[in-house]
Order: sequence, then structure tokens, then C-alpha cells
Amino acid sequence: MPTPGWSPGRKVALVLALVAVAAAAVLGIVVVRAQVSAPEPTSAGRIDPLPSSSPSLPVGTGSAGADAGDAGPAAPAPLGPSRPTTISIPAIGVSTTVNPIGLAADGSLAVPQPGPHLNEAAWFTNSPSPGQPGPAIIEGHVDTDTGPSVFFRLGDIHPGDRVIVHRADGHVLTFHVDAVRDFLKATFPTRLVYGGRDLSEPSLRLITCSDFDASIHHHIGNEVVFAHLVHTADAS
Amino acid sequence: MHKVLRILVPLAAAAAPLALAAGPATADSGSSYQATLNPLNHQSGSGMLMLTLNGNTAKVTESWSGLAGQFNGAPFPHVQHIHIGGQGVCPTASADKNGDGVVSTTEGAPAYGPIGTTLSVTGDTSPAAGTDIKIAPSGTSTHYSRTITLDPKVVQSLKNDTAVVVVHGDDPTTLSKKAQGEKSDLVPSLPLAATSPALCGALHAMPAGGVSTGTGSTAGMEDSGLLLLAGGLLVAGTGTALFTVRRRSVKA
Repeated sequence: MPTPGWSPGRKVALVLALVAVAAAAVLGIVVVRAQVSAPEPTSAGRIDPLPSSSPSLPVGTGSAGADAGDAGPAAPAPLGPSRPTTISIPAIGVSTTVNPIGLAADGSLAVPQPGPHLNEAAWFTNSPSPGQPGPAIIEGHVDTDTGPSVFFRLGDIHPGDRVIVHRADGHVLTFHVDAVRDFLKATFPTRLVYGGRDLSEPSLRLITCSDFDASIHHHIGNEVVFAHLVHTADAS
Repeated sequence: MHKVLRILVPLAAAAAPLALAAGPATADSGSSYQATLNPLNHQSGSGMLMLTLNGNTAKVTESWSGLAGQFNGAPFPHVQHIHIGGQGVCPTASADKNGDGVVSTTEGAPAYGPIGTTLSVTGDTSPAAGTDIKIAPSGTSTHYSRTITLDPKVVQSLKNDTAVVVVHGDDPTTLSKKAQGEKSDLVPSLPLAATSPALCGALHAMPAGGVSTGTGSTAGMEDSGLLLLAGGLLVAGTGTALFTVRRRSVKA
């Protein structure tokens, strides 16, 4: 029978309840924090591999002019140069300014530095403009010291998603995502990402970091989104 | 010396070269270069060239489109070269010294220098083949793939970041009246349009290795402490509950 007042049994029950609430609260925090971890990409979609390199071919075996032409019948004509100004990816809620960026002193691709453009995307100026033949390179941080950055949710992109790029000359370009890949930086496929099999096709690569290694406090991977141009329009 | 240090110091010394060697390595053998080919002289085309170097052997893949397609009723020949020994850049409109609205090959030379390699479709790739229209790609577009041997001067120019790709052959109808009446500065039997630059792109090394686009601030690894705390609370709670149940059963 329950006795009135603060019996030892009720005190224990109260302690139990408090402990349960505390444990639930801590687990709740963990769950919420897990959701602000960048989504890791799963390999999806198809990429045409580079033809196997054969540097031992004798001089004079080159060919030019003939081409299989597998870009598809509705592929829009390539455009001339004009730098990108904004990029939006509706599927993951990204809409941001694009700034020009070059190579760092060590020969790697420079990244947005602390300041007003840290959490904006950047276009590699040695790569083609979006719409020109070849892959235009646009990168963004997955996170910075202050938390999630512009390409935080890039791992949630799927083949078939759309990427919209505005250029300084007023053209609005729509790209179709073909594939998403996660590469270790140590074995980064430079020629596949910055070049590729078909240099004639206007295409786009989006790059951010992936695979955080807690033991060295660095991301050891890069996520790369492969997309190709499907539509061009004038903004006017 | 401390016993642990005696073991660790030589180990660290041995590991140092390994750490240095693990720099911006890539999965690809050889070094890779890229050039975005932008239009010059009122032309409307664009293109891209990729070059992979192994020693003096270069695999060149290139694609361009949008250039003049016909010349005297035949496919328009577009001679193309890797120029070396200049400033390693493409000329701007200010290089047009005679004011005819066209940067001729000669006027552009201070920017990109003389020919180092001729990117011919077949046969000779030396500067001597520079104006041989019979082995040049032709028409409005080209998909070019050829493995060639480069002169050591061209290899050095690639490494010095001073190599420039130039594709020649302008659509005469896009040039000024004055320029349309002028002779080529290279081959006087041809009009100026036939040999003037149409596309130009400086060759640069492709970025080395991966990209450092993150700090790991959102990696979620900080949560291991919190998980331990929650686990500890649950163990403590369960223990208290068991203790209470036992005391109750003893009382009863």
C-alpha cells in the first residue's frame, strides 16, 4: 500500500525518472547532432571511363574528324566563354553566388578562404566556363570551422537532379546530374574529373569534401557530382 | 635517454620520408595539363585540350567546335600548334598593332611565342609543319586524339607554365573590310583570315590531388562522449531500479 509523504520507494522512483529523462535528453542531442553531419554520398549513376592510356603508341596513329557522337540528339550547342555568377540545386536547397578561384601555391585547387565568400561556391578559372566544351569545375566547402557550409548536402544529390547555373552574359544553363562518386584524395582521378572521355560535351563537376577521418581530423575523400548540359536559355 | 624515446625517435625519423612522399599524389600516371580554347578575332567557337605527359611522350585529346567550316568551297583547314617561349598567355585585342581589328599570328607572338609543336592530324609534328594545311584538322569542329613525341623545349615550356595552344583560321565574313583585303603575314598567297588565330588557350597543369573543401566541424565524431554519458546514465538508472526492486522483495 502506498504511504503518504516521501517514502524511500517514491524517492527511488523520482531518481529513476530523472535519470531516464536525462538519458533521453542526451540521446536526443546525439540524434540532432547526427543530422547535422554531412550526408555521405552513395555511388550512383554512370560515368564513361577514360579510354585506357597507351603512351607506347607509335607516332602517327592519331585520328581526327570521326566521332561516335553519343552526346544525344537534343544536346544544346556549346557556348563561348562567360564566367558563372550563381548556381542553384533545388533538390538540396542550394542557391549561392559563384566566385572565380585558381590554383594554390602547391598546385592543388585553391578553396574559398575565410571572409565574405567562405560559404559561397567557386569556379576554377582554368576550367571551361559552364556551357563551353568540357567540364566546368565548381567547388564548395562541406563545412568550415563554424559549421555546415554551402555544399554540406551535396551527398544528397541523385542522378536526374537538376543544377541551374547563371552566367555573366545572361545565359541560364540547366545541367542534368549523371553520377555521384566518392574518391579518396590519395587516389584522386585527376584526368577523369578535370577532363573526361568526351571533351566536346559541355559538362559540370561539383566538388566537395567527404570521408572525415577523426584520427587525423581531416576529410580524406572528395565527393564529385558529374552533370551534363541539357538546356540553355537567355535570361532576357 | 628515456627508454620510450630511444625507440620512438628512430621510428619517427624513419617515418618522416614516408610522410613527405605522401604529398598530392594522384591515381593517374604522368602529369596532366589542360587548356580552355577561347575565341579570338570575333570568332564564335570554343574548345578544350587535355595533354598527358610521360617523359617526352604526350597523349593529346582535344575537341573544338564553332569555327569557319568552308574555305574556297572546301573544308576550312585549321592549323593548330603548341606555342612556346612567350609570356604563356593569349593576346588581347590590344595586340592589334595595325588597327585592322585582327590580331594576326605575328601580332600575337609576344603573348604566346613561336611554334613548338604542330598539332597535325598525321605526319610531321615539328614547327616545320606549322602551315601545312594538308595535315591540319578542318571544318567547323574537330575531335582530336593523338600520341606524339614532344621536343624537350616544349616539355620545359609545359613545366614552366608558358605553353599556349593556338588554332588558326578565321571566318573572313566576320572581319573588317580592311582585314578582308589583307594578305596573310605567314603565307602571302593566302588571305589574312586563313592564318590568323581563331582559338587560343594557355596550357596549365591540372590541379594536383584532391580538394580541401572541409574542416570536419560537422563530422559528428564529437558525439562519442555524449553517447558514453547517455550509456552511463542508463546503466546507473537500471542499477538503481534493480536495487530498489530487490529491497522491496526483501521487505515483502
